[in-house]
Amino acid sequence: MGGSLQIQPAHLGKASIQVKAESNRDALKLLVEADKNAGIIALTGVDLGAQIGLLYHIRTNGAVITLKSEVPKESPRIPTITDIIPGALFHEREAADLFGVVFEGHPNPARIVLPEDWSENLYPLRKDAKIDNATVKCESSKSKPEPVPPQSDGSLVNIIIGPQHPALLEPEKFSVKVNGEIVKQVEPRIGYVHRGVEKAAEQRTYLQDVYLVERICGICNSCHATCFVEAVEKILGTQVPPRAKYIRTIILELNRLHSHLLLLGHAGLEIGYETLFQYMWRDREPIMDVTELLTGNRVISSAIAVGGVRRDIRESDVPKIKAVLADLKKKMALYRQLYTNERTLKMRTQNVGTLSKEDAVKLCVVGPVARGSGVNIDVRKEEPYEAYGEIPFKLITYNTGDSWARFMVRIDEIDESISIIDYALDHLPAGPFRVRAPRVVAAGEAVNRVEAPRGELFYYVKSNGTAYPERVKVRTPTYANLPAFLKTAEGGNIADVPANFVSLDPCFSCTDR
Amino acid sequence: MVLDLWFIFRVLVFPGFTFLLSLTMFCDWVERKIEARMQNRVGPKFTGPAGILQPFADFLKLLTKEDIVPRGAKSTVFKLAPIVAFSIVVFALSFLPIDGAAVISNSSFAGDLIVIMALLTIANFLLFLSGWASANPYGTIGAARVLTQFLGYDIPLFLLALAPAFLAGSLSIAAIAASQYLPFVLLAPWAFVLFIVALQAELEKDPFDIPHAESEVVGGLETEYCGRKLAFLHLTRDVQIVFGAALVVELFLGGPYGPVFFGFPAFWYSLWFVLKLLAVIIISEYLTCLFARLRIDQVLSANWKMLLPLSVLSLALTIALVTWVYPLVV
Amino acid sequence: MGKKTTVSPMVKEALSNLFARPATSKYPFVKAEVPEGFRGKQVYDISLCISCGLCSRDCPAKAIEMVEVDAKRRPLFHLDLCIFCYQCAESCPRNAIKSSALFELASIDKSNLVVHPQASAQKGSGVQQ
Repeated sequence: MGGSLQIQPAHLGKASIQVKAESNRDALKLLVEADKNAGIIALTGVDLGAQIGLLYHIRTNGAVITLKSEVPKESPRIPTITDIIPGALFHEREAADLFGVVFEGHPNPARIVLPEDWSENLYPLRKDAKIDNATVKCESSKSKPEPVPPQSDGSLVNIIIGPQHPALLEPEKFSVKVNGEIVKQVEPRIGYVHRGVEKAAEQRTYLQDVYLVERICGICNSCHATCFVEAVEKILGTQVPPRAKYIRTIILELNRLHSHLLLLGHAGLEIGYETLFQYMWRDREPIMDVTELLTGNRVISSAIAVGGVRRDIRESDVPKIKAVLADLKKKMALYRQLYTNERTLKMRTQNVGTLSKEDAVKLCVVGPVARGSGVNIDVRKEEPYEAYGEIPFKLITYNTGDSWARFMVRIDEIDESISIIDYALDHLPAGPFRVRAPRVVAAGEAVNRVEAPRGELFYYVKSNGTAYPERVKVRTPTYANLPAFLKTAEGGNIADVPANFVSLDPCFSCTDR
Repeated sequence: MVLDLWFIFRVLVFPGFTFLLSLTMFCDWVERKIEARMQNRVGPKFTGPAGILQPFADFLKLLTKEDIVPRGAKSTVFKLAPIVAFSIVVFALSFLPIDGAAVISNSSFAGDLIVIMALLTIANFLLFLSGWASANPYGTIGAARVLTQFLGYDIPLFLLALAPAFLAGSLSIAAIAASQYLPFVLLAPWAFVLFIVALQAELEKDPFDIPHAESEVVGGLETEYCGRKLAFLHLTRDVQIVFGAALVVELFLGGPYGPVFFGFPAFWYSLWFVLKLLAVIIISEYLTCLFARLRIDQVLSANWKMLLPLSVLSLALTIALVTWVYPLVV
Repeated sequence: MGKKTTVSPMVKEALSNLFARPATSKYPFVKAEVPEGFRGKQVYDISLCISCGLCSRDCPAKAIEMVEVDAKRRPLFHLDLCIFCYQCAESCPRNAIKSSALFELASIDKSNLVVHPQASAQKGSGVQQ
């Protein structure tokens, strides 16, 4: 490829490669050929002044390789990569929405996060975008009506699920084409709760951003905070004290515990098993109480800060936490029995939404969804962060790839989480729990990954030498898992859509950011 | 003249309308309380002692709400269906001997079992119509599911109801109830178990509450209903549940007749009836707590492949026993 | 249902719960207890305040406004904007902002959620219950 490849010495994951815009497809093909399991994590757009930088973050062999291309701002055009990696479908649409990049050859270049009546040439994440005028413009500009799909298309009937529907707790819309009871196609429309957190992060200091990104998602809040904070620490070169690492691990695992319990219970509600739902949410409550005990709030922990954690664990609290965990462990036996033996529950979840291992790799799914299909990826193992390198735990995979397997992965992971917290409490190192970190961050960039309860969470942070970040990119697990739902719903029963959908543990507040 | 007043009292107060309605509200409370306790919750708690007035409060609340008929709905059917369905179920209930005799004394006739089973079917059909008329895709799907389900489960239910009829040698409910010196649940336990299962499906309770699967069809046939009409739809459903349980009591548990009996007969009859009714409701609610909701195709295949053959078998077994075995024993 | 091969554990669990004490807490009739270090409504001590304005500068939600009280700039807390992260308490060089266990802050009047530095110094609690 001549001089179009240029390796940069930076700590963007393991390596970053500068590629000319016209040869980014060739570079990508090379990577995919080298590793069959390679997949795209995210596509970050960066405003570089006269240029728009496009950063393709590729997961290969357990590391992140970033391909950097630049396109001119006047006519930002680049060939699509969706034919090489189908998982890039949504990422390209998002970059098109927020930066105005045209991906030539994209199969469906419709809007994905911005509303239909958003101004035509206003790309919110470009530095010169005047967002303040956006609302005014929105009202004056003719609202482009959403293409209304025909009610029936031959023998296909169009059923619209959402934006308001009891099966969806958050507003998103899915147009489901059904033939009788069989689903033929699912077309998503997300962005109903897009809050522009990435833009807002550029207007706040690093200190304030920790609290901002934490509020992207209520359930995996500490994961967002940790992922962001670690990226900043990578740029700063801050060494986090070991005690802080252990405390962070404990808080992250508490997040995972209550997230999995919530999901497994919610799954019960979706398949009409209200008793299971009530029991699981009852047993989730003590975990929330422990979080409150450790951090001062039952949901948003606000415990993570650049340089460590904001609070130490009190010695007197350790036995209380251990008692709660032991109790939960006992109760998990019942749920494991239910999920493995209860006939009606299995009838509704087994062979529902089956995702093969090949499809899971191709669609770049993450977390329990990938592990339920037998793909053994887990950031905690691939790139151990915090104390995960020192704590023994098992990577759970199931091979059937159906909703049931995804639930079973979570049941097993709850047990693993309990033992991780137990181990961390037993081996809590002494010493400080926080080091001072400067408020101004030198110019640099970093990518970081954290295994959130729903899967791999990805952050890209670029600093410019001030107290305000230049660019913060968030790729949430649900955003990566959504294509899997579209794939698995097709050919299934319409009544299985809720059971299938909920097994992804979808979080739209994450997806939309 | 005195007789007429007595007749009006029986129809309107006891054991007629007022009693049946209070019984329905009470059963609804028991149902909610039992389900809550099985799920380790408290259930209704603050309206009246232990929340016993909660169903009544809910009903009143709905009565005061705005009443809307959606544009495009078939207005007449949409408005009439809930109230007619409610009347029919209450009417069917009044055939059952509660204090030793049916609400309308001497209304019992040979073959009223068939009549009330038919009334139950008609009530279900009216519910289907109410959903169908609401011109809402979810209402329509919910209604279609009601129809599919009750068409399937009506047959086994009817076949199973014939077992007590054969045992008693009569198609009159009063006669069936009166002939149970030994409750039929002991003579034909298989029919009892299958009847409860079929009833669970007929009354759309878990694991067969597919027409109400809110994660799939929102409110089902109730989606477009609000205010008074919704109140009556809910009440219809509750009365249906009481009716189903009462049917089990009459057919299998010896009706209003009980072992302890002295003094004022109507009191003891009613007491036994209510106690047995509650037992059936608790069993039904227990089943509801145990299972996840099945899918419509699974429910149908369970019906045609399992319940229907089993109920035919149960009928055959009952007839065989009645013809050859029981005459030797009794 | 006759085809069930293994008995569901729910059969036992549901029955035993029928006679067990419900898990529901009786809030608001029984007060909910919060642990030590709970991030409730802030308590501001005007006597310790040195009017540096760090709390206002660092507040991620921009919920703290500096107002003039007796010719000195003091923080005014907009609890309706507050996200209870306690960055203000952390930024304060004199520990003038402390935590409390007060969490029942719901109000139908937004003005109840504005805690004026003087009012909070006098009454201790600016929020009406």
